[in-house]
Amino acid sequence: MSLRVDLVEGSRIALKSLASHRLRTALTTVGIGIGVATLLAILGITQGLDSSFEKQLAGLGSNSLYVQKDPWIVMGDWWRYRGRRNLTWAHYQAVRAQCVRCEAVSASISQRGDVDFLDRALSLVELQGVTPEELSVGAWTVTAGRFITDADDLNRTKVVVIGADVADALFPDGAQPLGASIRVAGRPFTVVGVLGRKGRLLDQSQDLTVLLPFHAMSALFPRRWSLAIGVQVKSSDEVAAAEDELVGLLRRVRQTPPGADDDFTINKPEMLSSTYQQLTGALYGVAVGIGFITLLVGGIGIMNIMLVSVRERTREIGIRRALGATKRTIITQFVLEATLVSAVGGAIGTLVGLGGARLVSLVTPLAATVRPGTVFFGIGFAALVGLVFGIWPAARAANLDPVEALRDE
Amino acid sequence: MLIELKDIRREYTVGGEVVRALDGVSIGIAKGEWVAIIGQSGSGKSTLMNVIGCLDTPTSGSYRLNGKDVARMDDDELAGIRNREIGFIFQNFQLLPRETSLANVELPLVYRGVSARERRARAIDALKKVRLENRMTHKPTELSGGQRQRVAIARALAGEPSLLLADEPTGNLDSATGEEIVRLFEELHQAGHTLVLVTHEPRLAARCPRAIRLSDGQVVGDGPGAEVAWQGVARP
Repeated sequence: MSLRVDLVEGSRIALKSLASHRLRTALTTVGIGIGVATLLAILGITQGLDSSFEKQLAGLGSNSLYVQKDPWIVMGDWWRYRGRRNLTWAHYQAVRAQCVRCEAVSASISQRGDVDFLDRALSLVELQGVTPEELSVGAWTVTAGRFITDADDLNRTKVVVIGADVADALFPDGAQPLGASIRVAGRPFTVVGVLGRKGRLLDQSQDLTVLLPFHAMSALFPRRWSLAIGVQVKSSDEVAAAEDELVGLLRRVRQTPPGADDDFTINKPEMLSSTYQQLTGALYGVAVGIGFITLLVGGIGIMNIMLVSVRERTREIGIRRALGATKRTIITQFVLEATLVSAVGGAIGTLVGLGGARLVSLVTPLAATVRPGTVFFGIGFAALVGLVFGIWPAARAANLDPVEALRDE
Repeated sequence: MLIELKDIRREYTVGGEVVRALDGVSIGIAKGEWVAIIGQSGSGKSTLMNVIGCLDTPTSGSYRLNGKDVARMDDDELAGIRNREIGFIFQNFQLLPRETSLANVELPLVYRGVSARERRARAIDALKKVRLENRMTHKPTELSGGQRQRVAIARALAGEPSLLLADEPTGNLDSATGEEIVRLFEELHQAGHTLVLVTHEPRLAARCPRAIRLSDGQVVGDGPGAEVAWQGVARP
């Protein structure tokens, strides 16, 4: 007898058997369904977190590098970064003049401070002194007015370009910010531009910011600043080469002795994403592990019910064997039955899991997204669980002695 | 010869003790014969039936069925032999309770890989032979004992096997219904089918042209049914 006949006849018998034990089938299905739903909801949330993080990273500006004294994220040996020399205006000018792979080079310094206008005040606003190139290096957009210009910096003009959150807070109800005189750290500045919204990065707003001309900022807060030198690389496949070039250039300009470690860091958006993955990877591992355990429990439920089913149908198995069913035919029949229950459970679990992920994205700020492939994964994985846990009961059925099986009451 | 059994032995180990269910049985049965195998319980007749029906394999000895040596076949080959060569008729009918008469009769043809259309036609034919064409869509629970056994006979006939093997076919039936089934066997015999009937009832064995008596796993009588059936038994 061909495998095709085994499959066709096996499916028919499986459907019939499932239909005649509705409650049992439903309960088994629920077991697998819960497993798949858990797994899918977790995957959905995970994928949602990842994609929202990717979106946030895009706001940092592609192909952009930031040369700074310290790394953005310090894990472990923080003391290695003590005593590093500042990055100065002279270093910035050297990079700007000599770096061949750099499209644009900016300098920036920043600190938190108060901003107020009339009776409205904001504290802990990110005040940044920037050169005009920061527009492209930082991937900023200007929605009204203009950005900081070379003339502003040269003349230390008291002008500012404000972030979207600052604009909303100080100029509500459509009030006109351009030309208004706001106070930054107690000194009057004229608003000449409003920045486009960038969104949040790692739960911090990038729009609660005020940009000043670099030298206006350093005059406002006179101290020995260490600059962030922002670099936009000409093309994305030159980023690694540009990095090497910057290291060589800065070591030469800063006269770092040969053999000594770099006493500066080149910060990249990818560093954030790899750190993010390190932090969340373990969490996801645990969550997905829980989903798998739930599926395992469902699978054991399937195995249990299949063993009961084999016990109940011993005589049927004897009859089928007497009439010419081979062992393979019997195995196929029972494995199909287990796989079918699981697949149905998987389908139901998929719906519930997707619903759950959707619910999470509605009631929490997490945007849970599920890729289309995940749905097939859910159903397919459930079917696989049924297959694996159905094999042993099926093999027991097939290995029954026909004579004994026929005698079963 | 359709069936050639030579020096068949079948031993079981029960609780460390060897039980000889069949102890050197040699029988030949020709095509078209109607043979009863009679014996008390424990005589080995059920074991013999299982060996003849290829549900069990002998410990030693040779068994040729329709020219094929089946004593050394593997499980899959035996399943094929059961499917094509043998039509089983059991004491308790052994019908699938959730399937209709028609589906039950079709079952051996399903395992032979016969197309659905042909399967149906042949099953209907077989049900006509046992005069149950008006009960095709009934399930076994909706049928009387005699009707159930006729469905089982139709199932045995559907595959057109070379041998019909019946195990106490009237055992679960009242005497009137039993008589009906025996008449059906007579018809099948006249139509040329080979019938082997395992029973402990002399009355039934006496109706067969030939009977073989088994005692303690050995053949102790082989001759016309009317004679062998009552051998060593007090006639009522």
